[in-house]
Amino acid sequence: MLRYLVRRTGESVLLILGVLVLVFFMVRLTGDPVGLMLPKEAPPEQRAAFAAAMGLDRPLPVQFAEYMTGVFRGDLGDSLRQRRPTIDIIGERLPATLELAMAALAFAMIVAVPLGLAGGMRPGSGLDLAARGVGLAGQTVPNFWLGMLLIVFFSVQLGWFPAFGRDGPASLVLPAVALGFAGMGQLVRLTRSAVLEVRKSDYIRTARAKGIRDRVVSLRHVLPNVAIPIVSVLGIQFTYLLGGSVYIEVVFAWPGLGTLLETAIRDTDFPLVQSITIFLSLFAISIHLLTDVIYGVLDPRLRLS
Amino acid sequence: MTHRTLRTLLAAVLAALIALPSAFAQETGDELVVALSSDPTSLFMPRTADRTASNAAWSLFDSLVWIDDAGEIVPALATDWTVSDDGTEYVFELRQGVAFHNGEPFDAASVVATWETGKDDSNDYADSFAAADLVEAIDDHTVRITTPEPNATFLTLMANDWAMVPPAYIAEVGLDAFAQDPVGTGPFRFVSRTAGDRIVMEANADYWEEGLPRVDRLVYRVIPDASTRLAAIRTGDIDVANRLTADQVGVLEGEDDVEVISYLNDRVYYVAFKNIGAGVGTPLEDARVRQALNYGLDRFGINQAIFSGQANAAPGFIVEGNLGYDPELMEPFPYDPERARELLDEAGYPDGFEIGMGCPADGYININEVCQAIAASLSGIGVDVTVDFQTTNAYWSEPQYAVTGPMYVDSWSSEFGEALPRLDGALTPGNYYTTWEDEKFATLIEEIESEVDREARAELYVEMHELMREDPPFIYLYQPVIFEAIDADLVGYQPRAAEEYYLRSVGFAD
Repeated sequence: MLRYLVRRTGESVLLILGVLVLVFFMVRLTGDPVGLMLPKEAPPEQRAAFAAAMGLDRPLPVQFAEYMTGVFRGDLGDSLRQRRPTIDIIGERLPATLELAMAALAFAMIVAVPLGLAGGMRPGSGLDLAARGVGLAGQTVPNFWLGMLLIVFFSVQLGWFPAFGRDGPASLVLPAVALGFAGMGQLVRLTRSAVLEVRKSDYIRTARAKGIRDRVVSLRHVLPNVAIPIVSVLGIQFTYLLGGSVYIEVVFAWPGLGTLLETAIRDTDFPLVQSITIFLSLFAISIHLLTDVIYGVLDPRLRLS
Repeated sequence: MTHRTLRTLLAAVLAALIALPSAFAQETGDELVVALSSDPTSLFMPRTADRTASNAAWSLFDSLVWIDDAGEIVPALATDWTVSDDGTEYVFELRQGVAFHNGEPFDAASVVATWETGKDDSNDYADSFAAADLVEAIDDHTVRITTPEPNATFLTLMANDWAMVPPAYIAEVGLDAFAQDPVGTGPFRFVSRTAGDRIVMEANADYWEEGLPRVDRLVYRVIPDASTRLAAIRTGDIDVANRLTADQVGVLEGEDDVEVISYLNDRVYYVAFKNIGAGVGTPLEDARVRQALNYGLDRFGINQAIFSGQANAAPGFIVEGNLGYDPELMEPFPYDPERARELLDEAGYPDGFEIGMGCPADGYININEVCQAIAASLSGIGVDVTVDFQTTNAYWSEPQYAVTGPMYVDSWSSEFGEALPRLDGALTPGNYYTTWEDEKFATLIEEIESEVDREARAELYVEMHELMREDPPFIYLYQPVIFEAIDADLVGYQPRAAEEYYLRSVGFAD
């Protein structure tokens, strides 16, 4: 187990280093912020002075070295636009994004797991048809488009939910549905096919042969066995939701990391784009590591492979 | 889980969902809610990177002078001022008895501090403050400001950018903290800000101008997506939704609670020519060719096809709403392909020529379509234009548009009510974005810049227009129309041609 842990952690650290290097150079491929930040009328002297004040006039390797030493000291730099530590800015926005991602995941699970289970237990039934329909819709409907539809129908026409913003639980409903929809589709399909798979196994046949009722079979024997793939997908889903929230946050004016990232990219705010990307990557890598570890605990075969 | 418990649970969830919205119904009353299309970078004026930020910030501040709705400079925190005969020295008498929101008195020291903090190189708008050489207090309520040379638009510049700040408070907390919790003398005082979500302000009860502001609370909500702003004005959650398109406001037809307003934006779209860099040695060096391109482009057809007619054909760089504009004297080039071909023939290009044109992909509304339409239209006079789409970052970060070919599409706005910023920015040699260098333009622009008399300046603009018509450095395209939707009960909301608005006199009809 220890060797497995060490190996997975080592891989994660390498991955993080790769992300750090990649992010630094990719962000700089997008252009020079000075031309975009200053008013068009700004004379060349002001441009030069501004670049110097922002540290953008130094050679790239020097900027890179400073950035890396900063990262290891836990200092991700200051935002060019807001002139304060990017880590503070991210801290302000993180709760909104976590809240939305968790609500979306909860929505996806609440709908998908029972539906997938029901569909898988009775292939060809009405519920199964519904499960397959939801699975297909979830994977094909673009989430930002769904978001707009939800706003027009539930906010403008019916007036049930706020059209935008973060104003308590009611405002969470529409963005969570829009964001969780794709994940829901994937989960329904996964649950359904896992159930179909498990149902074919000998122990289920034995349970049935003993005359145990269907409901008991599905809850006591099928569910625990489909739980493992579902749990592992949930971890991946969660990180996907964090990243995928950019569109949804913009559509619903949700004040999270997604809208922040969109603005930062538009403003060529290098340090901020860098920090958000690094932060999200760290988050994703940690969750994958954690999932792998839990998985290793649950399933000893994985530790040896 | 039994069927019954599942059913009960579902019923409970549904009931909660239906009950929730009413719990969050908002009381509006005397609260004005305005949408912002992006989260302001800063509320410290010299660092307000865009119009959205400066619009929000101006609710908190005042300048020494003000531009009224007629475009005239009027007193604000200065009650009176004199200008020296050589036009380089201004003496302002300051309004007495005015205090900042924290109680600090407004006086001559505040003006000096405003200039000193404003001209710091790290500020986006340092240039506006560097327009003054020296700002000194003569006594507590008199200030002398010196400019290096006569500057026709100095007062306009002050009205637009010089938001007065409290020196003692800034000294105590520092600029970064000030930007987070700003204090001014303005009609509203800062209450709170939730990053990416909202900025809350309340009326300044001690505002120096009697009877203003006209609402108790002002809330800015950040809504980046235009369709969401449209939805929010329809649900009544906001009172002002800006930056909408003609198609979007079409949806609002027949809605009694919402009023659609539209106005011409003081922004000119154009195709620029280069006589430096990639433009050297091309047919563009011949004035007849540049005229031919202006005659040969169907700008009216482009407006109709791409903007449903909701744009004005631009007569030049001096457009409706600008000082010196005269509809009789300044008509757009007519669409006359015959004349265009004749001119090309005279210039020695009877069969036309091939030329490249840069285009800032997605940089402006419908700009990709506009670029393609330009190429299609000019092919009608035998000019074969290759459109080169560039990302906007690369496009605008290179001085002199080094990434583009001999022609490129761009636009330039002005918040002055005068064409000077775009003339100077795009035609004064050596400027970051100047790609057409011609001494006669540069000389006339300098004259305009130092002409302090308004009437005389208006005449110079007419002269400039004529020069730019005979020897065009651009193909003039269009001036767009801006659409906004507001609560039908709103009174006193009057945005100006560069999308700037001031909310101190906005209220609700009884």
